[in-house]
Amino acid sequence: MTALLPHAPLSPLGTDADTHLRQTLRWHFGAATGSPFWLRTAPALGFDPVRDIRTLADLRRFPDLSDQLRTVAVEDLIPAGHTGPPFEVFESGGTLGAPKRVVDSASRGLNVDWVSTVLDAHGFPATGNWLHVGPTGPHVVGRTIRQLAQSRGGVAFTVDFDPRWVKRLLGSGRTDLAGEYRSYLLDQVELIVQSQDIKVLFITPPVLEALVARPELYERLAAGLEGIVWAGTSISAESLRQLEETFFPRARIAAIYGNTLMGIAPQRPRQDGDVHPAVFRPFFPQSVVELVDGPGGAPVAYGERGQVLVHLLSRDMFLPNVLERDTAIRVRPAPGDTVDGLADIAPLPSQGGTRVIEGVY
Amino acid sequence: MTPPVTAPPAVVRLNPVIAGSEVDSRDTAELTGVDGQVVAEVGLAPRLLAQAAVQRVRAHAGAPAPAAELFAAAGELFATAALDGESPAEYQRRVAAATGSPRAAVERATASIRAALARIEDLNSAELPAPFAEGGFARHWVPRGKVLAVVVPNNHPEPNVTWVRALSLGYSVLLRPGSKDPFTPRRLTAALLRAGLPPHRLAFLPGGHDLGDHLLDQADLGIVYGGPDAAARYGNRRDILVRGPGRSKALVDAASAAALPDSLTRWIADDGGVRCNNISAVLTSGDAGELADALARRLAALDVHPVTSAKALLPATTKTNAEALAPYLADLAAQGTDHSSALYPDGPLSVLPDTSVVLRPLVISVDDPHHALLGTELPFPFVVVAPWREEHGTAPLRDSLVVSLNGRHTRLAEELLREPSVRKVTTGDVRPWLSRPELPHDGSLAGFLLEPKALIHAT
Repeated sequence: MTALLPHAPLSPLGTDADTHLRQTLRWHFGAATGSPFWLRTAPALGFDPVRDIRTLADLRRFPDLSDQLRTVAVEDLIPAGHTGPPFEVFESGGTLGAPKRVVDSASRGLNVDWVSTVLDAHGFPATGNWLHVGPTGPHVVGRTIRQLAQSRGGVAFTVDFDPRWVKRLLGSGRTDLAGEYRSYLLDQVELIVQSQDIKVLFITPPVLEALVARPELYERLAAGLEGIVWAGTSISAESLRQLEETFFPRARIAAIYGNTLMGIAPQRPRQDGDVHPAVFRPFFPQSVVELVDGPGGAPVAYGERGQVLVHLLSRDMFLPNVLERDTAIRVRPAPGDTVDGLADIAPLPSQGGTRVIEGVY
Repeated sequence: MTPPVTAPPAVVRLNPVIAGSEVDSRDTAELTGVDGQVVAEVGLAPRLLAQAAVQRVRAHAGAPAPAAELFAAAGELFATAALDGESPAEYQRRVAAATGSPRAAVERATASIRAALARIEDLNSAELPAPFAEGGFARHWVPRGKVLAVVVPNNHPEPNVTWVRALSLGYSVLLRPGSKDPFTPRRLTAALLRAGLPPHRLAFLPGGHDLGDHLLDQADLGIVYGGPDAAARYGNRRDILVRGPGRSKALVDAASAAALPDSLTRWIADDGGVRCNNISAVLTSGDAGELADALARRLAALDVHPVTSAKALLPATTKTNAEALAPYLADLAAQGTDHSSALYPDGPLSVLPDTSVVLRPLVISVDDPHHALLGTELPFPFVVVAPWREEHGTAPLRDSLVVSLNGRHTRLAEELLREPSVRKVTTGDVRPWLSRPELPHDGSLAGFLLEPKALIHAT
């Protein structure tokens, strides 16, 4: 896969970032259009969001209120001026305690439509069925993949996957049970693949690795697969090469980075001179992603690793200044683009002590 | 006196080898030696690369075993030839620098591996009953699987003989080398391939613990070298053979304690104490404190040299590990009486100019043969001395790879042979690792890898 692909389409919303920012603030803090959540928070901010926040850099003046999303009534998040399709509620994975809830009507759909055009640029099949091996239920990715499959002329088969249960198993050291759960998921994948025509697979790297280790399932799936989207965890450079060159040489392979609060940032097609095998490009300016030097820190330089700071500026929800648990390397915008890329996403390193190992082995 | 510092070996690149071909992996890790210098850059095999290897190895598995001559030739090449541009001396220096085992121990191990590969048929046949064939009736010992995964240790090169024997018994082998000594299995792989081993019988796959688990899941049978964790994890699985901690012990009476201190010192400290059959506990019906003092004095006389020097007798570790080890050792010593530390004016962890830290011998005595410290095994000369009386019987000697009996206690030999958790017994002035190809080291490898099947044909 060395052929260069066309650039992904840019400026997805057709407005410049500062105009989009000011429109968003006027909407969410307007007395007639804003949400109860922001209207009741505004007086305590110490500044006027509509008058004082002029550029993206000013967003750092907001406090991170995302913890309140664990408990706030979701009706309070819905802008009063809303007249479009009904709202849905989605939840985060709940890695660090109770899940955070977000609401959305149509904004994330714009993000998904744009991702579909990026998949075109990757050379993904224009039609065909998808198989989604990942979270559905309260997690937004379930709706995202269904929408992608439908907009690309297919249906999405889904294997239900509860990431919170897996995290609980791994967190309590029950790796055997987590392995059994993975096998159980693959049993269900097998039942679908035996009778259905699957062109595109959405899956996490660990489950894909386990799938490849089941020779019959792997061979049957690989024979028809034309695209793989991986997401959810990182993957090593050699693992990615093995996927592309050894196991799925006929398929296009692209990744998606995303989270409940920000939306999704697809991998952009590789460019000449790319150092990183997967560079992610956010849906700017609806999703603004900065890589910063810790809480309150300045943006890191290009090529440096920083902590992910996101601002969600959609018509359905405004959520500035949320420091995520992830880190990434800041990559210069691709030629013709103005938005930074993110590469090599990894969790914040935890603080671990050195353990003395007894024995001679 | 400043010990002489030898030049560090050149940095080498080690890659996964699958079906005779190197894979220039994009995932790499630096392997640093005990002096903090990089010894090797290791190309890692992530799970998907390993899976590619599993599929290629399995597709060709099940063919008859190569001839014994191939293994003898490979042993010869391993010990004497330049392989992938590496001389035997460079290999030995790298293993010493990376693992902290004294270089002379690696040299002796090289010779032992060569000798074992030269007699591989003897090693295998010694573990099986005499062949049976009468008329149309014959018993064949055949592999009970086709693909074997082996998690190889770092402490000493000799356990690598195990997986070479598996090849000679007809297996195809997936190797996950130790993180500090990928050199020995890589060099053996090169020697075997040059000697004519069919390439798809073997895959060399450096990686982490996860990779070992994955290979054990994918293979038909597995062998794991590891500490108490590995024993707890895999000990109950019939498809996995665990080679765990040695916990070798000696029982000496008062007269032998007086006559044998030099021998006991060697049993504790030869090869830097990194062998699984180095003695790590001494029980005595004499005066435990006196014996501990005598051993501590002799062990403290072992000179300190960098591990890559030919004169090195003691193992070493990195400065960082030593800093973590110091409070742990202090805590161990506080559980008994420390007979050694007072003999080291600069402490038992001796920092060299190259920043490596030599681990000097530690002797601790306790007053109870069932004390929790007995059975502690550390990768340097470390021994716990405890009192023993008739009424204690063999109980304090359980869970031992080797038990050395001396003096009036030799009569316990038969009783200990019948004790399942004791794997070997020696009596008198005998090195715990003395053996012959006909004798088992830790049970029967062939008995694990093979099973008998009947072939009956009309005559």
